[in-house]
Amino acid sequence: MHQIDVKAGLLEPNDAIARENRAFLAAHGIYAVDIMSAPGSGKTSLLEWMLPVFADRYRVVVVEGDIVGNADKERLDGFGVPVHQINTGAACHLDAHMVHPTLHRVAEEGAEVLLIENVGNLVCPAEFDLGEDDVVMLLSVTEGHDKPKKYPLMFRRAGLVAINKVDLLDRTNFDLPGAIAAVRDVHPGVAVLTTSCRTGEGIDDVIAWLEWRIAGKRAALQHADAGAAP
Amino acid sequence: MHEASIALNLIEAVEQRLESQPEARVAAIHVRVGELAGVSTEALDFAFQCLSVSTPLAGARLVFDVVPLTMACAACGRTSRVEDLVFRCPACGSENTRVSTGRELEVRTLELAEEPEVAHASD
Repeated sequence: MHQIDVKAGLLEPNDAIARENRAFLAAHGIYAVDIMSAPGSGKTSLLEWMLPVFADRYRVVVVEGDIVGNADKERLDGFGVPVHQINTGAACHLDAHMVHPTLHRVAEEGAEVLLIENVGNLVCPAEFDLGEDDVVMLLSVTEGHDKPKKYPLMFRRAGLVAINKVDLLDRTNFDLPGAIAAVRDVHPGVAVLTTSCRTGEGIDDVIAWLEWRIAGKRAALQHADAGAAP
Repeated sequence: MHEASIALNLIEAVEQRLESQPEARVAAIHVRVGELAGVSTEALDFAFQCLSVSTPLAGARLVFDVVPLTMACAACGRTSRVEDLVFRCPACGSENTRVSTGRELEVRTLELAEEPEVAHASD
């Protein structure tokens, strides 16, 4: 039997474009966060809380990823920031290639902060790097505390996990300490916060975490510039 | 469902590798899949069978080599198997670990069918 070596990474076509995206974002001084969760965990609701605050402090652009339709975009259109809809058609996730053309528009709009809402899905988006700086993930109380060990890849991608809908804790058997422990098993060192997009509890903490990350990227880019100067 | 896009990448990678030998007939494609690659081998196999139908790879078998999930500890330097998805070093308790193996997702080798000319002649 004749054998031939191939050694080709099957995610490499996406990863290559993600690296381009990351370099493009750095060159334009844009911080990008990819918000991921199962459908209905509260991604758009979180953005509704964040946008009034962020729009005051940064030039913000939003990218909405959905399989079809623009229901989420319509919810966010009233906040005075550009919102771009990407429809994936049949695909269950955004990938680096789909996002790439939109990044040029985002840069033309002078964005400093790009908020990307990925397609609601706990499985597929985890595999596809978009070139973002951070992944923020929502796990809502109604989904159950067993999710971190069922969808480990997504939890490992996240820099911040927000356990959302905590206003419903006493109506469910969700084990909050158990859920936090499971998140930390799967991803030691990850930031874990509790939020409610109903009451606004914990939203300030998510904003504070993101502002810390934005400041960190700005400082890193400035140092890189200073280092590159003659 | 993302297995479909991965199957397309697989077909493209193999076709690219065989560009210089278009007469080659592929019997099997060996794919390394890490335990934490996030890919279902059944779904990838099904997607490949569907998407390769009208390509020269139609009928080729996918052979999966599943790579166990291990982590390397930055504190004590030990490499250990990840049990129950706990990414804490079992030897020293450090949380400063990284995945060592188990994220692989790649085509490794192709097995070519023997004597492709004979196969053609009998058609």
